[in-house]
Amino acid sequence: MIADPTLAVLTYSGLALLSAGFGAIPVALRQRLPPSWLGWANAVAAGLMLGVAYILMAAGLPRTPAIGATGAVLGIGFLYWTHGVAGTQELDLDRLGDPAPDYGYQLLLVNTLHAAPEGIAIGVAMTLSPWLGGFMALAIAVHNVPEAAVLAAVLKSRGLTLIQAAGAATATRVSQVLFAVTTFAVVAAAPGLAPWALGVAVGALLYLVMAELLPHCYRQAGHTSIALVAILAMGMVVLLAAGAP
Amino acid sequence: MSDTTRVFTYALLTALATGLGAIPFAFVRGISPAVVAWTNAVASGLMLGASFGLVAEGTGHGAWETVAGATVGVGFILFTQRLLARSGVRLGQGRGPGAQRMLLMIIVMTVHSFSEGVAVGVSFGGGMALAAAITIAIAVHNIPEGLAISAVLRPRGASLAACVGWSVFSSLPQPIMAVPAFLFVEAVRPALPYGIGFAAGAMVFMVLVELLPEAFDRARRAPVALIVCLTLVAMVVFQQYL
Ligand SMILES: [Zn+2]
Ligand SMILES: [Zn+2]
Repeated sequence: MIADPTLAVLTYSGLALLSAGFGAIPVALRQRLPPSWLGWANAVAAGLMLGVAYILMAAGLPRTPAIGATGAVLGIGFLYWTHGVAGTQELDLDRLGDPAPDYGYQLLLVNTLHAAPEGIAIGVAMTLSPWLGGFMALAIAVHNVPEAAVLAAVLKSRGLTLIQAAGAATATRVSQVLFAVTTFAVVAAAPGLAPWALGVAVGALLYLVMAELLPHCYRQAGHTSIALVAILAMGMVVLLAAGAP
Repeated sequence: MSDTTRVFTYALLTALATGLGAIPFAFVRGISPAVVAWTNAVASGLMLGASFGLVAEGTGHGAWETVAGATVGVGFILFTQRLLARSGVRLGQGRGPGAQRMLLMIIVMTVHSFSEGVAVGVSFGGGMALAAAITIAIAVHNIPEGLAISAVLRPRGASLAACVGWSVFSSLPQPIMAVPAFLFVEAVRPALPYGIGFAAGAMVFMVLVELLPEAFDRARRAPVALIVCLTLVAMVVFQQYL
């Protein structure tokens, strides 16, 4: 355990960022990943994020449901709006070998935006308890691996080298660290903001799962296998979080 | 009135409340793919929100037991899906995948009411002091579940009366299970987390394997995602205030 809490947030979220580098391993092993693998990878990430959203909700919502819900609606609305402005509502995160130049930029933008509320989740969890903060960082770190693998596979199929692809996939997660540290600092200074940050994180995580990760998975692999992978990942989070002291 | 009759009457009232969930669909006569997608999204949000509440309650009794129950719930859906696909089932004018999905929805919601009936009986077991409050809470909780069932049935051609009927039917296990659970609280209590986990696992899996993929097939992603998330949040908050 690290004594200084801000340093702890920085370390945990930094480790979560670095774990995205592991996403390069499957991409290095196979010349071209089968589409079903990309579907399952996104399903793992979706299940973990649903589990994380549930844990945050269970930890913080009962005390201030009205503020939490308002925050959640803000988080949902913000992402809906940004996707609308950027024209990325229907963007598939996993189109292998699509050479369109716009697609590359849109992918990097969407992935960077995606990681920001995950940083808020780590930061606000840390203000609730160090254990929850560590757990949240661990769950996000694990989920970064399949998400980075999908992004690295797509970038590599567009002609980047493995190192470049893995580097770019990891770099999109820098927003996680920034938002984790900022959220923690702000909420620690103004504890009244905790339920707001919690609500925003929950709403945003739910929306990312429903709008970005799940829709296209179902086309990459069968409905049953996607649903099984996602619910398994979610169940793991619920089970492990129950071990909280 | 004896306590047993009262438990039964109260639980029956909660079952009837489920029928109220069909009312908003009096004016929906949608056959368009987008309407099916959006009503699927409403049902998904309601069921995910309800499951979040169930998981929170179940893990309070025991996390391993809840997850074990959820695993059986997932297996139950997989098994029923295979069974329905093979039987070539019909429902009303509907048949084929649409009728299978309607029937699966009714089965999932009915089966989940068994565990909730047990939960009602166990909570009455604490004494009749809170009986009225618990009854109102469960009755109000059941209305969105009638909404979820009607959201799946109505756009596929079911009449309003059928939506009300199947909604009430899906909650009938509550009074049936509440009485024995009330009479044998001490014996039933250890089984509670398994039952709650089963209900949550079955509902979440139903959403992931049937409702969401169909919704994403039939409409654009952004509105579907928006409806699922907003309904989910509304359902969770709604349960907090009960
Ligand atoms: Zn993510
Ligand atoms: Zn229920």
